[in-house]
Amino acid sequence: MTQTDSTGTPPAPSKTSSSLWAWLGLVPFFLFAIAFLFLPSLSIFINSFQDNNGSFTFKNIIDLSEPFIINAYWNSISISVITAIGGGIFGFFLAYAVTLGGMPKFARPFLTTFSGVASNFAGVPLAFAFISTLGRTGMVTVLFRDVFGINIYQAGFNLYSFWGLSLVYLYFQFPLMVLIMTPALDGLRREWREAAENLGANSFQYWRYVAMPIILPSLLGSMILLFGNSFGAYATAYSLTGGGAINLVTIVIGAQISGDVLNNQGLGYALALGMVVIMSLSLIGYSWLQRRTERWIR
Amino acid sequence: MKRGSIWAWLWFILGLIYFFLPLYATFDFSLRLKRGVLSFAAYENVFSDERFINGFTFSLQMSFWTIVVCLLLIVPTAYWVHLRLPRVRPVVELITLMPFVIPAVVLTFGLIQVYAKAYTFFGTSLPSVLSLDLFTLPGLINLRDAVAARAPITLAFPIVLIAAYTVLSFPYMYRAVDTGLRAMDVRTLTEAAQSLGADTPKILWYVIFPNLRAALLSGAFLTIAIVVGEFTFASLLVWPALGPYIQLIGANRAYEPAALSVISFAITWATLGLLQFFTPEQQGQIAGAR
Amino acid sequence: MAFLELTNINKLFVQGHYAVDNFNLNVESGEFISFLGPSGCGKTTTLRMIAGFETPSSGSIKINRVEITNKPPNQRQIGMVFQSYALFPNMTIAGNIGFGLMLAGKKNDEIKKRLGEMLDLIHLPNYGDRYPYQLSGGQQQRVALARAIAIQPQLLLLDEPLSALDAKIRVELRSEIRRIQRELGITTIYVTHDQEEALSLSDRIVVMNSGKIEQVGTPFEIYNYPTTAFTASFVGQLNLMPITVADAASGTSTFNGIRLNTSQPTSLANGTSAKLALRPEEMNFGKVDGKNLLDGKVESITFLGSIVRTRVDIGGSMISVDLFNERKITLPQVGEQVTVNFPAHACWILE
Repeated sequence: MTQTDSTGTPPAPSKTSSSLWAWLGLVPFFLFAIAFLFLPSLSIFINSFQDNNGSFTFKNIIDLSEPFIINAYWNSISISVITAIGGGIFGFFLAYAVTLGGMPKFARPFLTTFSGVASNFAGVPLAFAFISTLGRTGMVTVLFRDVFGINIYQAGFNLYSFWGLSLVYLYFQFPLMVLIMTPALDGLRREWREAAENLGANSFQYWRYVAMPIILPSLLGSMILLFGNSFGAYATAYSLTGGGAINLVTIVIGAQISGDVLNNQGLGYALALGMVVIMSLSLIGYSWLQRRTERWIR
Repeated sequence: MKRGSIWAWLWFILGLIYFFLPLYATFDFSLRLKRGVLSFAAYENVFSDERFINGFTFSLQMSFWTIVVCLLLIVPTAYWVHLRLPRVRPVVELITLMPFVIPAVVLTFGLIQVYAKAYTFFGTSLPSVLSLDLFTLPGLINLRDAVAARAPITLAFPIVLIAAYTVLSFPYMYRAVDTGLRAMDVRTLTEAAQSLGADTPKILWYVIFPNLRAALLSGAFLTIAIVVGEFTFASLLVWPALGPYIQLIGANRAYEPAALSVISFAITWATLGLLQFFTPEQQGQIAGAR
Repeated sequence: MAFLELTNINKLFVQGHYAVDNFNLNVESGEFISFLGPSGCGKTTTLRMIAGFETPSSGSIKINRVEITNKPPNQRQIGMVFQSYALFPNMTIAGNIGFGLMLAGKKNDEIKKRLGEMLDLIHLPNYGDRYPYQLSGGQQQRVALARAIAIQPQLLLLDEPLSALDAKIRVELRSEIRRIQRELGITTIYVTHDQEEALSLSDRIVVMNSGKIEQVGTPFEIYNYPTTAFTASFVGQLNLMPITVADAASGTSTFNGIRLNTSQPTSLANGTSAKLALRPEEMNFGKVDGKNLLDGKVESITFLGSIVRTRVDIGGSMISVDLFNERKITLPQVGEQVTVNFPAHACWILE
């Protein structure tokens, strides 16, 4: 071995070649992304603007205003907003309870582990779990009937409806909130509270002027994540309602994939495009809030 | 505030009830197959059902392949980005966030467009343009044909399925590896190793991979949890995975779905529990199909 | 009657371990007191008890005759400056400084006026609209100080405020702090582990160790007349030589047979083994009449800038001799035999 650079990296003049190797190292990843992300998305985008003969048209987008479709979007957005806010608030209070609420030490790891499991328990098994709990012969339904004499189904409750589905969605929404907010709440430094108390603030004033403003971007950002999570959900709704009782955008698209239920190819694409647009907007909102959070909590 | 306030306990207990009640109800329900008696009959039925065994092993195989592909794609990428090309980082991170922007149903829609022989994209389907045959990988259980006979659209591309699963696990895998690389301060370790005479392959082997082990394990377990429980891709691309099987059973029978839910929950719990065991620093991971 | 009275303060953590043990102190109005000691000596815990963030296990705290031991922190009218500045990131500088006044219900004009005064005081006029993340560490700490003072507290507490800053900024800022404190006359307690800070800033220093007070005194007293072994060795450099007490009444001792005078009587019995304590800067080279003399060999010479430190081996013990630097200084060579001298009043006998 000659007495040259023993570090393995070539000396300065060949910097371009080592960069080149680095770029090559990224090629498989980018090829994969192009093949399985970019191309499918592009295909959807292009096909939304094509009619059955392959010529350019806006008709598909306009057809989105069909009442059936509007209803699907409305349902999807509503359930996402409701479970985002509901799951967000519930999850936030839970996260608060185990970080700043003075719970015993075991409470936090217990909650975060269980949240990890619960947020992954979505989809088909979750639907059946809720059927066993609140279905027509579910345990809680039976309990109410036998012990309290109330038939909740007669009283108007129905698991296989919009509100029933919302209840099921909450099961994976608020664990997600817990998992995101517990580290965020850690970022609320103890000294801020002490400094505020020092200057005369009571608990309420501390939260109003210091803690809430600081944590708000995180909170809103997480709720946006929850919104997206719910908006794109398919398996849970499908299993609960057999693709029938509730009109959601994901269900409609799923049905379209299995067979041309809309009698209109282009419309299916427009539907999918609409979803992507809404999700992209959510992501942009989320990123913007993330950047604000990072600026304050270093 | 050192005291455990009433409100905190209240929320905590409410949370616990909401968590555990469905689980308990499901378990209870699953034991009632035999009228008037608590028994594990439903579980016996499930475990002796050939389709369950096949579905489960199929999903496990899928998770194995997904982990392999995902690791091969993510680890070198994360390493290069970290070390040499930090400017590409935002692009790479954006790509790993795509599963959020493009939900499973939508991606399936697009994948079918590009890769199915039944549909066309710009005139002909991509595989046929490239003279590719994207059929079953050798070694997998070939139930495709059996299922395909009933399905209206025959799409038997496990490559596409594995690709879809890989996309699904991108965010988690990338985040795990990225966190791992950050935690070990790749640049400094690489420079230290270089100053001691190591070249890049040696650095990767002796320094990078051993320190990444925990991150890789956590990513792998998460992927298993995701893939085994997945429904959307498997169902819409018509593959005999565990998810579609459970749904099918649920449409036709009463007690077995409850048993399957409990089993599914146990599998999730086991994989995430193993994850905690191997990487105790990480508290709670977000994953899974919806 | 003192302004701040701390009586028999104890703080018990788990397993019978006292973080603060029998702490008694009276502080006069307008005094600048430092709590000085190593990590874990209880200085911060005591400060936090005064602020109200910890409660004493027993004992009482009074400010201006009023018992505040059990008062919540937001009712004590005490200003506090934290090591990590703790500025509220979501508020401007103006918002931060005015926060206490806003909570107290002061009118806007009054707050504005006070804000202007504060910004001038810390030499940061026109910074009101900036956010903490736009300021350097030193600037943030000045804002934190202004924020604490704006509410005209009866007591100002500082918890190692300069530890997170660069050396040069530290020196600048500490004289700023002292200047402001003098100007406003606020009673101040300053916690630090840095002796230079404590010595240069304080009216009196409380040296602490393992939860207990070692000594309370002016900087001069603490440095030159330490009453405990810990204080003597914690503050400044100290030479210690093993000696035997020769004559307790006149304070004479023997070191390896050589008689050394201390001119201070000691309570130890004749013949006891003890240590002779002596500051390096009190020593010099050369045979001088009337001073204590010891022979030895030069082991090393270290140039420290303004001080040149010579290590001399005097019959088995190493001592340091500190001389002020001069451009034309004459120093012995390493290995040379030298005689060191020191006056009798410079040394004292430690148990």
